[in-house]
Amino acid sequence: MYIKKVVCISPQDTIKDNFPQTGIIEFDALQCPAIEPDYAGLIPRGLLRRMGKAIRMGVGAGLPLLTGNKDIEGIIIGTANGGLEDCIKFLNQIVKYNEGTLTPTNFVQSTPNSLGGTLALMGQNSGYNVTHVNKGLSFESALMDAQMLIEAGDAKTLLVGCIEEISTYNTNIYTMDGFLKKEALLSSELLNSETKGTINGEGATMFVVDQNGENALARIIDTGQITHPNHEDLLECLNALLRRNQLEMSDLDAVLLGYNGDQSTDHWYKQLSHSFDEGTGLYSYKNLVGDFPTVSGFALFLVLKLIELGEIPKEMILKGSNRSLGKVLIYNHHRGVQHGFILVESLA
Amino acid sequence: MQILKKRVFVTGYGIVSAIGNNVEENLNSLRAGKTGIKKANHFQSKYVDEFSFGEVNLSNQELIDEIQFEDSSDLTRTDLFAIKAFQEALKYSGLELNEIANAETALLSASTVGGMCLTDQMYNDANLVIDRPSPYLAAYWNAAHTILLAKQYGIKGFTDTINTACSSSANTIMMGSRLIKAGRANRAIVGGTDSLAKFTVNGFNSLQILSSKACQPFDRDRSGITLGEGAAYLVLESEDVIGDRPLLAEVSGYGNSNDAFHPSSLSEDAIGVCAAMNKALQSAKISPDQIDYINAHGTATPNNDQVELTGIQKLFNRIPAYNSTKSYTGHTLAAAGSIEAIYSILSLKHQELYPSLQCKIPIEPFNQFPIKEFKKDQKLKYAMSNSFGFAGNCTSLILSKVS
Repeated sequence: MYIKKVVCISPQDTIKDNFPQTGIIEFDALQCPAIEPDYAGLIPRGLLRRMGKAIRMGVGAGLPLLTGNKDIEGIIIGTANGGLEDCIKFLNQIVKYNEGTLTPTNFVQSTPNSLGGTLALMGQNSGYNVTHVNKGLSFESALMDAQMLIEAGDAKTLLVGCIEEISTYNTNIYTMDGFLKKEALLSSELLNSETKGTINGEGATMFVVDQNGENALARIIDTGQITHPNHEDLLECLNALLRRNQLEMSDLDAVLLGYNGDQSTDHWYKQLSHSFDEGTGLYSYKNLVGDFPTVSGFALFLVLKLIELGEIPKEMILKGSNRSLGKVLIYNHHRGVQHGFILVESLA
Repeated sequence: MQILKKRVFVTGYGIVSAIGNNVEENLNSLRAGKTGIKKANHFQSKYVDEFSFGEVNLSNQELIDEIQFEDSSDLTRTDLFAIKAFQEALKYSGLELNEIANAETALLSASTVGGMCLTDQMYNDANLVIDRPSPYLAAYWNAAHTILLAKQYGIKGFTDTINTACSSSANTIMMGSRLIKAGRANRAIVGGTDSLAKFTVNGFNSLQILSSKACQPFDRDRSGITLGEGAAYLVLESEDVIGDRPLLAEVSGYGNSNDAFHPSSLSEDAIGVCAAMNKALQSAKISPDQIDYINAHGTATPNNDQVELTGIQKLFNRIPAYNSTKSYTGHTLAAAGSIEAIYSILSLKHQELYPSLQCKIPIEPFNQFPIKEFKKDQKLKYAMSNSFGFAGNCTSLILSKVS
């Protein structure tokens, strides 16, 4: 499966074509809010006013791709939470008005498949349409869905993407359950942090994937995933992924690792790093955007940018390498429970 | 990867709904034409006096006692349904624990409510109303029950949670079948779960599509949805790994489409509905006249039933025998697709058709009643099961009798 196009809205200035040459933005907070584009001309003003942030970002990234390519046959979205802000707003109405007469807008937007439906409606696409809400593996599930459709010949071109938003509510819940740190710190210090928890991020990344490799940005070789593994299970999951694609560990030129500065779960990355080849470059990505359940979509966007650029921002380098980015592995886990791999190949 | 296109069979099923706490009890209620819609006993909401519900006839404590988990302290009603139906499906299939805790076994589940059935606890946690968090912080996600089941049964293969509103678990059956066909799993346990929640009751009520009396699918004077709850799981297996174990049905086809018309209603000309059914027929490689029975989505909203019949009329020369089993269970949202797939399998397995309840006058201009009474000794080969959801998500499944 080949990636033809990508649009990414993230806490970095990724809506500019020349990112990351624009420089890496540093955050001094517990959260990294996304830099949103001007939606005028894309989303009618009345509609925009009623849209929650997750939907708005998803439409902002996805709709231009959808309207720019009439061959897109379906829309596949990964999101752990969808429009959580709308969801809790509706919940708050229920409690505040004691189940009285409520307005349905928040309810309709609260369902995670709302973005997939909105894109289908605005882009007039009546093809395949599924929303995966598998928490920290939502984007990996969406990619697998797309890859199976394309490999089975059920579709040639698809829109695949992911969204997540920061809201007061998920910040509250993530702070209580230990996912977020208690004190703000510079994003440049995140990976050296000695405390538990991480910083919150958000964004929307949308890809046009295709059966045909002509003018493609890269090829998705395959994805792999496992839930509740031990270290042995995890390594076997990666080995199985490599084996079924006739690859070996030494074929990996680079690995993007999801270090998020949480001292209680970063050991997964460190442990797996021992299995990689001496010459494999190791790179980070969450110190650029924080952590959220579909952050691997941003990591995949980064890989495409790095392949295009041929160089890697110093902020990302954990262990440098002189190998060019041929075969790249993205490894991300969510809270040490759900672990996902995405294998990408440069076409250069 | 090489495309193998393995055949996919159903080898186990489990269900909990308003008409029974296992498959056998559900079957008996369908045969007797006995609805489960009544005044709610366990669900707490001010709407309990205003609307009837398809409530599962077990309290949380009774469910906890039945599943026999070591620690049930942070399980939601959504989780409890999932575990109960999952356990029955596994037991039926006869799979060994090592066949489940295996990298070749996938788990795909669906929920739209997840832990939001705990409306008040979630309100408190999200708004920091009390200093101390509730024990349910990890339970609110749609995927919470999937991750729980994966942990409990040591599932090492592909996991997924799907939310396409009311078509969610139909899509897990489709996606699980595709994983097996592609050789990416030998087995997939698929299904969905949802419990009654203030969140959904108030949501559907705000859209003014709840019926003040028990829902009347496909009746001219139908006035909306009756909400229900439950869970259902199916064990899907590749033809390669079944051995001589009994087969319940084959998953023959599936189609998925988006109506691309409106956030919460279907287009009058049934674009998504027709596309989903048509794709399902194509993937099963059969013609419309080979469908012997349709388990319709049939929510009993004025919009859904009119559009669904319009779509069926367009595609089929004659409208096949059809019913809406939501007249028994109410609309169980993410569980509906898998519950209704099991009802379709029961029809195929026993070669019988179950009456659709509450339809007194059929819809114009079709003038065709849904199945009116229990019918035995049928000749049924292919059944179609429809599921349509908010945001335009339409899915149609085709299940067939194994000869």
